[in-house]
Amino acid sequence: MNPLREAQLSLQTRRTFLSSVGQFSLGAIALHALQTDALGAPSANDNPLAPRKPHFKAKAKRVIYLHMSGGPPNLDIFDYKPELVKCSTQDCPDSFLKGRTFAFTTGVPKLMGTPRTFKQYGQGGLWMSDAVPNFQKIADDVTIVKAMHTDQFNHAPAELLLFTGHNRQGRPSLGSWATYGLGTENQDLPGFVTMISNGVQPSGGQGCWGSGFIPSVYQGVQCRSKGDPVLFANDPPGMTRDLRRATLDALKDLNQRQQDELGHAETVTRIAQYELAFRMQTSVPDVMDISKEKPATLEAYGAKPGESSFANNCLLARRLVEKGVRFVHLFDWGWDFHGTNPREDIRDGLTAKMAATDKPVAALINDLKERGLLEDTLIVWGGEFGRTPFREGRTAKSEVLGRDHYPDCFSIMMAGGGVKGGFQFGETDEMGFGGVKDKVHVHDLQATIMHLLGFDHERLTYRFQGRDYRLTDVHGHVVKQILA
Amino acid sequence: MPSKATLFLGVFVGTLCSAEPINFSRQIRPILSENCIACHGPDEKARKGKLRLDDEKDSKRDRKGDFVILPGKPEQSELIKRIESTDPDDVMPPPKQHKTIPAAQVALLKQWIKQGAPWGRHWSYEPVARPSVPKSGETNPVDAFLADRQKKEGLTWSAEAPKAILIRRLALDITGLPPTPTEVAQLSGAKHADIVAHFLAKPAYGEHWARQWLDLARYADSAGYPSDPGRVIWAYRDWVIKALNRNQPYDQFVIEQMAGDLLPKPTEDQIIATAFHRNTMTQNEGGTSDEEFRNAAVIDRVNTTYAVFMGTTMACAQCHTHKYDPITINEYFRSYAFLNQSVDSDKRDESPLYEIYPPGVKAQREQWVKDAVVAEAAFKKPNPTWLAGYDAWLAKGPKLTDKSLKAALDAPKEKRTKAQDKLLSDYYVRNVSPATKAERALADGLKKQIAASAPVTVPIMQDLAGEKRRKTFIQLRGNWQALGDQVDEGVPTHLARWDDSAPKNRLGFAHWITSRDNPLTARVTMNRLWETVFGVGIVRSSEEFGSQGDLPFHPELLDWLAAEFVESGWDTKKMLSLLLNSRAYRQTSAASSKRNEQDPDNRFLARGPRFRPSGEMLRDQALAVSGLISAKMYGVPVRPIRPNMGLSIAFGGSGDWATSAGEDRHRRSLYTDTRRSTPYPSFATFDAPNRETCVVRRDRSNTPLQAFVTLNDPVFVETSQALARRLLKEGGNTDESRLRLAYALCLSREPDAKELATLKTLLAKSVAQYKADAALALKMATEPLGPADKGADVPALAAWTAVSSVIMNLDEFLMRR
Repeated sequence: MNPLREAQLSLQTRRTFLSSVGQFSLGAIALHALQTDALGAPSANDNPLAPRKPHFKAKAKRVIYLHMSGGPPNLDIFDYKPELVKCSTQDCPDSFLKGRTFAFTTGVPKLMGTPRTFKQYGQGGLWMSDAVPNFQKIADDVTIVKAMHTDQFNHAPAELLLFTGHNRQGRPSLGSWATYGLGTENQDLPGFVTMISNGVQPSGGQGCWGSGFIPSVYQGVQCRSKGDPVLFANDPPGMTRDLRRATLDALKDLNQRQQDELGHAETVTRIAQYELAFRMQTSVPDVMDISKEKPATLEAYGAKPGESSFANNCLLARRLVEKGVRFVHLFDWGWDFHGTNPREDIRDGLTAKMAATDKPVAALINDLKERGLLEDTLIVWGGEFGRTPFREGRTAKSEVLGRDHYPDCFSIMMAGGGVKGGFQFGETDEMGFGGVKDKVHVHDLQATIMHLLGFDHERLTYRFQGRDYRLTDVHGHVVKQILA
Repeated sequence: MPSKATLFLGVFVGTLCSAEPINFSRQIRPILSENCIACHGPDEKARKGKLRLDDEKDSKRDRKGDFVILPGKPEQSELIKRIESTDPDDVMPPPKQHKTIPAAQVALLKQWIKQGAPWGRHWSYEPVARPSVPKSGETNPVDAFLADRQKKEGLTWSAEAPKAILIRRLALDITGLPPTPTEVAQLSGAKHADIVAHFLAKPAYGEHWARQWLDLARYADSAGYPSDPGRVIWAYRDWVIKALNRNQPYDQFVIEQMAGDLLPKPTEDQIIATAFHRNTMTQNEGGTSDEEFRNAAVIDRVNTTYAVFMGTTMACAQCHTHKYDPITINEYFRSYAFLNQSVDSDKRDESPLYEIYPPGVKAQREQWVKDAVVAEAAFKKPNPTWLAGYDAWLAKGPKLTDKSLKAALDAPKEKRTKAQDKLLSDYYVRNVSPATKAERALADGLKKQIAASAPVTVPIMQDLAGEKRRKTFIQLRGNWQALGDQVDEGVPTHLARWDDSAPKNRLGFAHWITSRDNPLTARVTMNRLWETVFGVGIVRSSEEFGSQGDLPFHPELLDWLAAEFVESGWDTKKMLSLLLNSRAYRQTSAASSKRNEQDPDNRFLARGPRFRPSGEMLRDQALAVSGLISAKMYGVPVRPIRPNMGLSIAFGGSGDWATSAGEDRHRRSLYTDTRRSTPYPSFATFDAPNRETCVVRRDRSNTPLQAFVTLNDPVFVETSQALARRLLKEGGNTDESRLRLAYALCLSREPDAKELATLKTLLAKSVAQYKADAALALKMATEPLGPADKGADVPALAAWTAVSSVIMNLDEFLMRR
């Protein structure tokens, strides 16, 4: 936003603000540049996280993005290549290698067809392997985009490109753009939540949910299913709820006296923030407690109270969106199938990894559907890039079968929120080296997600260092074909 | 989002009604820049209709009888016709740009053309001219300029703030720490200027201002990218503190960081200073190309150099000629060429490194190394008497852990090879033989001394020489592998001329940045100083002085400050004193609703500045008032209490750390180990950047998550506990005397009767609760600070902890007023 506008708005804001003390909840963040509503009129609303209308009617009101950090092996999950199977163990043709660099492969690697069994599922005849028995059952609810591609073949830059539109640190993330554009529905919870499973944060780091140069109220708040649900949300040992209330009453009283005397609007904001913090101390642990779920639900997800598993996080994602959280971003570690150890083997390793993955994802989609939330909740499942149709160089002689990083094609799965069900889109060539039909770049995916949320991705911008930035940089086309 | 163009209105439309001549730079150029220049500007590839609206000649030339701008005749100017056209094929800006120029601005354009369409350069590219100080009766020139401006806005000064508040304000602004009650008492009779001088002379000044510089320098104690391993570069942080404390002239400060190594006979300090540009990230992820990330580091150096010193966004010109400012892609890579000769190449070991020894130690250590070589060699050619007892030792079957030694020992004597024999006897002589006791002691002693005197290292800039020097090519579309023409070192000379006698290297580049001709360096620096003291810059977009940035609210004031800064010999402390001694600074920050409404961001300074300090400052302040703070300066980064997240870094180690022992747990925040992948959580919550790239201006948000930090973060719980102990020990015997001490420590003022009443009520409730539950009280009073003194009244400590926490969460404590 142009700083001059910022000045105007904050002037206006404070005026409104001073006359409406007591009615706001989160926000009244008077120090901030405040939003304008999507149609262009400056909004008198003083809360940067207040719900806002998008540019046009949205299909999706919220997003759950399930990111598999490391790059799942697309050729062993969704993208069936019988020709490649026939050529297995042959030298990879020179034409695919010439002038290219791979992360861990030099020389001439051997082609590797999938060792897995593929069949078609659902009314759309979606190809899926035996690695994903539970995805098979939801084939009619999902779109598989099969000719995704990116520009980056290392994890960190690829994740940053996927989630911020740029391969280096410093830009706002997908979730923060969505929250900046739409605000959030429940002011007692963060608008943008991220959770990590399997103990490792993604390679792209906290930039994957950072707010870059847009105000930091839009950054993802990391929630945890163990320990403090939100950092420092728990009162210190020895502080009771009753006494906490008494301390906040004293604080409010003293702050209010200062405000009366000195007239600073920020003081009012601060009083409000402490009150909100107090409410969040109840609302956050409440929503993060899955022990109240029915045993059948826990069983469907494979969730166990007290753990910090991907299954728990999927269930939490549903609980959060149900309460009005705008964007939930899950990161699951352990998808870098190089074959350097048995966990990274595309046979048993993938079966094991998927067993902890496809069940909760399918349960999540079914659960949302039952609750009538799937139609306006967009689910995305995928990685930051694909994997090579040949065996990785380093592990070529080992018993474990692995593939190298590959940016030219990969698959993602989408469901709900205005996306077709039982649909597969795009094709790769018969060996799985590149897209041949309906290719979708990561910037196109971003444009499409923004479109589903009701935004023209070229118009949702933020002024920084003299330039209007947007999620899709200077690229991106909405993939209309997958829209329901 | 709406068109940004509408915004200029609020500021400039007023002039339209008056007869005053329209100022091109301030009123017209922003409209053209916002709406037209992207397609009709410097970028040749993007240029449409062979028209440059950033160029006077081209805008006014005769196009077969048509004119884009015909001075004096708006109705015949194509510019106006196209803006006002209703034909979607003709109208400008074209509909797909989603931009509409508001009617008032169109009127302004017409008026300007009517006045003859006078042209001018973008204001910040014009040379700094020292304006005369307005006559207004103010003695401080800063106030003279401001009073003049306030008059135009219908505003007047506020009263001076109470002395104690000013002492606190100065202490926080200059040293980042609150004044002690003793200081407040001692200084309360002093002149304002003497109080300023008092705090400026404290070493804490350098620590406080270094923190800000380290944001610009993107300083961190880790290398960044996914694995984010530790990096030893803290000697640079210490250099910054020392340079600021000795008030090094700013031009020298810049030159040493850019090119200290290239100065004649550089000192150790000048070499350490070059670590400024070694704060770029190093990529250690497997399978990545060192050359790609070396290139990324050089790009970051170019962008950082221009952003920090000149407030110029060069990044745009990395991929294409700048669309708004006259900087070509060619010029970008000519600047790149200066920085492209550095030896470093994205290596894990961060080479080249400079080794720092305490005085005298280097020569001594070199001698030890030589002596050690001689001593160790002697064992390889043993005196036969040294082998006495060897056979007996062998027969005993000693326990050996080394694999090859063990194999040698286990082999039957007759089957041992000569080499194995030698291995065993050497081992005996070096480690066991009673006859070599003295020799062994000598060699071991040397080893220890060598280890103990290992130097501190710091990555530095060092240029390649001769044939190893790199060639620089233009990189097309920002792709490091798609190369265009070769370029040599050079600068955008339209910003400032290049001195032909200067060397064509980083040093010449640094001299160009700090030359008197450079229109940006002094302006940008004074604006940043202003922003730090007053909360908002004279140019609000302190990171962007180009044509897409904001205009200064008082250009003459900024120019006067810039000129004065250069005249003073780039004397930062002098300029800072000037601001801190101004009437503007000394005003009360209390805001009447009229002043609030008229100038919500207090840009015209009709009241004193008031804003929230950084998270680092808030922690330091809490440590200081509680008495926990360590005064120790410099050295290895420390690890204060931080919550365990149980997460690892991708391809790296644990993101958690073990808390430092002793006083290192309570050092100033600036010494905290700065990890790019896992920033210190409470600082990040208060908008600290993660130091991946240079950040010129921090956000100042106000969120509920910040309340969680100052209420519940163990760091702040611990300071509340310590303050409670301090109050009971030093605060006299009554609740009231203790509360008075708390207010003196935390707020530098007396509490009033109502405040005392509120806190006494809370205290009574807390005491009752903790007396009733001893276990609860013990937790509240001691976790995480540790056991209280023997015989301490634990319930009272617990209750005072709760009260202390309230005082340390007051808006007044969290704001610098």
